[in-house]
Parts: sequence; structure tokens; C-alpha cells
Amino acid sequence: MTWPVRRRPRGTRIRRGPVGAARRPYEPVLRRRDWTLPPPASRHRELISALPDEPVEGRPPLLFVHGAAMGAWAWERWLPQAAEAGWAAHAVSLRGHAKSDAPSPLARTPLRYYEHDVLQAITELPSPPVLIGHSLGGLVVQHVLERYRAAPAGVLVGPVPPAHGLEVLGGLVRHDPAALAAALAGREPRPRAELLVGRDTDHAIAQGWADRMGRESSVAATQALAPRRPRDIRAPLLVIGGGDDRVVPPHAVSRTARTYGVRAHLFRGLGHLLMLEEDGDGALRFMLRWLEDTLHATGRLRASAPSN
Amino acid sequence: MDRDTLVIGAGSSGLAAAKNLGLAGFEVDVVERADDLGGNWNFAAETSRVYGSTHMISSKPFTQYPDFPMPDRAPDYLHHTDVLAYLRRYADHFGVSDRIAFATSVEQLRPLGEARDSGWEVALTGRDGEETRHYRRVVIANGHNWSPKLPSYPGQDDFTGEIIHSADYKSAEQLAGKRVVVVGAGNTGCDIAVEGALRADATYHSTRRGYWYAPKYALGRPADQVSDLIFTLGLPLRATQWLFEQTAKLVVGRYERFGLPTPDHHFLETHPIVNQTLLYHIGHGEIAPVPDIARFDGEVVEFTDGTRVAADLVVFATGYLIRFPFLDDDALPWQDGRPQLYRNILHPHRDDLAVIGLIQPDSGQFCLVHWQTVLLARYLQLVRDNPAAAAVWRQRAADRLDERSQGGLALIDSTRHLIEVEHLDYIQDLAADIAALDALLHDEATRHEVVA
Repeated sequence: MTWPVRRRPRGTRIRRGPVGAARRPYEPVLRRRDWTLPPPASRHRELISALPDEPVEGRPPLLFVHGAAMGAWAWERWLPQAAEAGWAAHAVSLRGHAKSDAPSPLARTPLRYYEHDVLQAITELPSPPVLIGHSLGGLVVQHVLERYRAAPAGVLVGPVPPAHGLEVLGGLVRHDPAALAAALAGREPRPRAELLVGRDTDHAIAQGWADRMGRESSVAATQALAPRRPRDIRAPLLVIGGGDDRVVPPHAVSRTARTYGVRAHLFRGLGHLLMLEEDGDGALRFMLRWLEDTLHATGRLRASAPSN
Repeated sequence: MDRDTLVIGAGSSGLAAAKNLGLAGFEVDVVERADDLGGNWNFAAETSRVYGSTHMISSKPFTQYPDFPMPDRAPDYLHHTDVLAYLRRYADHFGVSDRIAFATSVEQLRPLGEARDSGWEVALTGRDGEETRHYRRVVIANGHNWSPKLPSYPGQDDFTGEIIHSADYKSAEQLAGKRVVVVGAGNTGCDIAVEGALRADATYHSTRRGYWYAPKYALGRPADQVSDLIFTLGLPLRATQWLFEQTAKLVVGRYERFGLPTPDHHFLETHPIVNQTLLYHIGHGEIAPVPDIARFDGEVVEFTDGTRVAADLVVFATGYLIRFPFLDDDALPWQDGRPQLYRNILHPHRDDLAVIGLIQPDSGQFCLVHWQTVLLARYLQLVRDNPAAAAVWRQRAADRLDERSQGGLALIDSTRHLIEVEHLDYIQDLAADIAALDALLHDEATRHEVVA
């Protein structure tokens, strides 16, 4: 019989001492920063929804989380399609993005405030949702999945990696250093269209999306380069990406997938904003099929799927 | 037929237990005596001990379940109606609501054997009459703030006025126009004294010793957030206490000026009393602080300093007893007035019985209860999936049965501190256990130093 003695897993503490004596923090149990300096409350959070005409019994809702400098609008192509396929689909705008207000200066907003926003959106849904995050939102979703263990599944779309963020940095430096500098400085990134989409998508349309982007928190963007790696995600994960993605390149997506012991699914010809690209519809169909299969396999699709 | 898991009580602890055990794959039934969920927060229920004006005394981030934050639109300190609404949304969201049998009370729990996993025979009285069921395991979450603890003084039976326990205090209307003596300096006692200041003819607040009264706000922020910020400085305990005491002196000065006794202990050495308005009303002459009661004499209440006042109503805000009316005394390892359970949760000799929520933290309750139930779920999973590893873990737990997670504080000796925990100490003890159980569950033991 073996037993781990004394040396417990990293991040736990052993020392018994006076109140508040410095001990190694153990996220996500000891969330001291969230207790002492909680995220300022938002007055308005944008949540756009597309609901199916005939809901399929027992299916969890989907909650989409957008990436840097975007908003719930990033999912405007996928939401109605998901609803048509019988899924209740919701997309949240993080604080300071699109129509959600910024209760504190956006430039100094850390990632954990975004996690709070996603959790707040979750509590407004009738049952635990599948969390789908794109890019920076993919990183936020990884952290939320660590804290919110009731999620039946998670989907990461071209996610910012949970570590080795420099791979993303390298690509951006090569392809669009101006956008990167702007994002890190908290200005509107205004990236070049060809950075965002695959070769088949009209750059004029893509430029429209680029122009629609707002600002991003420079603190969050900086944190994303070297984030805290989530310790323990139990939800089934799907990791997908665009084969032509220049922001989070395919090898970075694959590496994220490997981190969680799954395989990445890369879609040829698609770029970073695959959920807005016409050819990205295939990725959505793939994702919904995967969800259906996974939820069946894990017994999460039962009519009265309650607390398990 | 054997059923899987029974949770007794659909209050803040029972709901979290049902949800987290359900997530871990257990089939959970919940029974609730009242006809709605919420336990103590279900104001309409006869078993509720909140009063009309009850608000949280810990702010949102400390109080909420960590995976289900209280809404942004709610204030820092929720009113009890908002707490009930929050618990309802939690139960609905996680699908617990469908698993609760309301108006069903547990009459008797009887062990089906001496073994760790014998299971329990449960006698229930529900809407459809009486029923006996067998459960593999039972989780008790019946609360510990409902059975009044009543003191007794000479002459009490012949007192001409009315005597109630704060359990029966529901609204300030009960004080209107009366001469009121409020006994006890707990948070309830102070709240009632303040309401007396606003409604009663005269209010006397009787306390046995001097206390530190913590404000609800400091530096424009909820004071518990500020005090945890101070804890993060990692100062030695005495330095932290000194800092708090100096702050108290800076804000209100010396308590003696208000006629209050000097605290006979250091800050943090009693359960915190969070009340910003008590001193204000004393200063306005609307509350008269008095010492402990010596005796009753007709309509007069006499205090230990010889003061005699005529009173119409005495409110004993003297706390509650830990009670499990459906359980024989020898079913739990009682010691010094409390069941001695590992981390106040696990029974040392049984895997089929656990208690959730049996803590009185110096902070929010729901958050700690969440991690209690996670620990319980992990342990039960280990018992189910890897009994050998569970046995080893249990041995280690047995050696640490006397750990109280009180942060090294020399809490004053009082029944009030029977189940007191210091939140940072307790949550880290829970976290360490959860991490160790996780490692065993996922067979990662080899990564760490091991012994044969």
C-alpha cells in the first residue's frame, strides 16, 4: 500500500500557523484575491440567445464566450444554426465588450474578472451549460471549467493556450505586430483581415469584422501570455481550430489539446475567426455531433439529467 | 430495496451536499421537514430562526457557493429573502429541486449493523404517512441553529413580564412600546438590541463580558474583505490582532466610555460580532448596556452590578444547541458537547454517516460547506472505487481527529465556540484533504514521496 506522505501535491500547504500566515495558495479552493478584491459588479451584461422552436428534452444549454476585443456578436452566425439544430444557445459579452458595461477601467481588467462574468452568465441559465470559448474566451473557459465542475462539456475554439503563450505571441509578431502592440496597450487592435480568416473568405468581409472589434484589457492580454494553468478539468473537452489560423496557430491548438489528453480537430482552410466564416459551419456541425455523442456516452442527456 | 444516499435537510448545507454528491455519481434523495427549501432561510417555515430584518453578516464573496456566485445586482450583504431566492436558483440550476421530498421528517435513524458500511434504516413521516427505508449512507444536514439554548436565573419562573428566546423573535413589532432586556452579545442579540433602540420604550443590553464590535464596512468596503486583505500580509497573529484592535480604537475609541466592559480577550478570540450601529445607539442613549443578569424579582430584572430595572420583555439571544433528535446518542462520538468528527464532517467509525454544515465559521458559511461536501464526495468515491486506499487515508484522518482548524487562536472557553472554525485555516485543511483524496482517486500517488 502506498500513500503520499508529507509532500502533498504542489500548491497545498502543510504548515500550521497563525491566522493568515503566508501559505501556498491552493487554487481554486483558496480564492483569496476573489474574496479580498472581488470583481466589481456589472450593472449590465449582454446575453444574446437563440432558442430552438422545439427544444430537445434533456439537452443542456450552450454558452458561448467570445475572444479578445470582440463581443457576443462573434457568435451571430453560429447561434441561430445551433438553435435550429435543437440547442438553446446563448452568448455573453464580457465586461467592457460590446454592450456589456465596464464597472472598472477596461485596460486594467484581469482575466479573473472575465471568469466572474462567465459564471454570472451561467447562474442565469436554467441548468449547467456546455461552455464554448474562442481564443481568449477559450482560456477563460478553461479556468471556469476548473471552478465550475457541473459543466457537462467544454469546447475550445482556437483557444489561447493554458501555458506556452509565447507561441501565440510569436505568430502575432510575425504577421501583425501593430495589432499586437495595440492590444497590449489597451487600444483597438484593428488587425489586418488576412490575419483573421482563411484563404477562402473574402477579405473585405473580414475587414468588417476587424473594424467591429473594440478594445481589450492590456492586463488580460498580458496575463494571457503566461496564464495560470488550470489544474484539474474533469469535463469532456473538444478542442478545434482553423488549419490556417495565424493568431493561434494549429500547433498551439494541438498542444493545448494534448495538455488535456485529447486530440485537436483542425479544419483546413479556416482562420482564427472560423465561427464567422462561411466554411466554418462545418466546424459547428462537427461540434454539435461531438456534443451529442459525448453527452450520450456520459449519460448527461437523460430527460431528467439532474445533479450528475 | 436498498437506496443509495439520503440527505436530511434542504437548507444551504443539504442542497450543496445533494448537488456535489450527485455530481460524484451518487443517487441522492433529500428529505425536508418544511414544505419549501431553504432551511433557516425559509422565513415562512416554523423551523426558521431568521427574523424580519436579518441580513448576511459576511459579504457576498465569502458567503456564496464558489461555483455559483451571488448575482452582481445583489448588494454586499443580502437580505434573508434574497438568500432564499439565491438558494432556490442554486437548487433549480443544479437539478436538486426535483430530488427533494418536502413535508417529510426523519423520525429515527437506526444503524443496520456495526460495520463501516452497514447502512441505515430510516423511519420517515411524509405526506403519504409513515415509511421505513434502507439507505446505504446518510448525510445529516439538519442545521445547528434551531434548538434554543435557554439560561436559567433565580426567580425566572416568577418573572411577571414575558420571556422569549430569539428563536421566537420575528419582527421589531414584538418590541414596540415595551421595556426590553436583550441578553447576549451575539450577532442576533446586537441586532435585536438595535431594533429595540428604534422601537422599544427602553432597551437594556445584557452581556457577560466585553467584546470587540467589528464594523460592516471599513475603508468603504465590506470589512471582511479588508480584514482578509490584512491577513494576506502574513503578519504574526499578535501583530494582526494589534492592528485590528488599534483600528477599533481609532474608529470608536475606548469601549469603557460607552459603559461597556473592556474586552477580556484579544480581537479574533471570540466569534466575530459584526455590528456597526450598536455603539451608535448606545451613544444616543437608546440602548443601556448592562452586565449579566443576577436574578429576576417580580417585574424587576436585577443585574450583577446591582442595577435593577423593570421590564416587560426579556429576549434571550443566547444561542442554540447542537441536536440530532432522530439519532441515538451513541450513534455519534460525542465529546465535550459536540460530536467529534474528522473536519466536523466524517464519522471516525463509519463511512455511511456524515454531517455537513456543522461549523460556525468566522466568515461565510456556504462557501465552506461547498468544500465540505466536495471532501465528502471525494472520500465516498474513494471508498467506493478503491477501498484499500480509503482505509489508509482514514487511518491518517483518525490520527488528526482532534484538529479543530481554529487558526491557532486561543478562543475563549465557551459553548459558543464548540464548532467554531477559522475560515482560512479550515478551508486550507479541507483543500489539503481534497488534494490528497484527488491524488489517490486518480492514482497519482506514485508522483509523490511514498511509504510502503
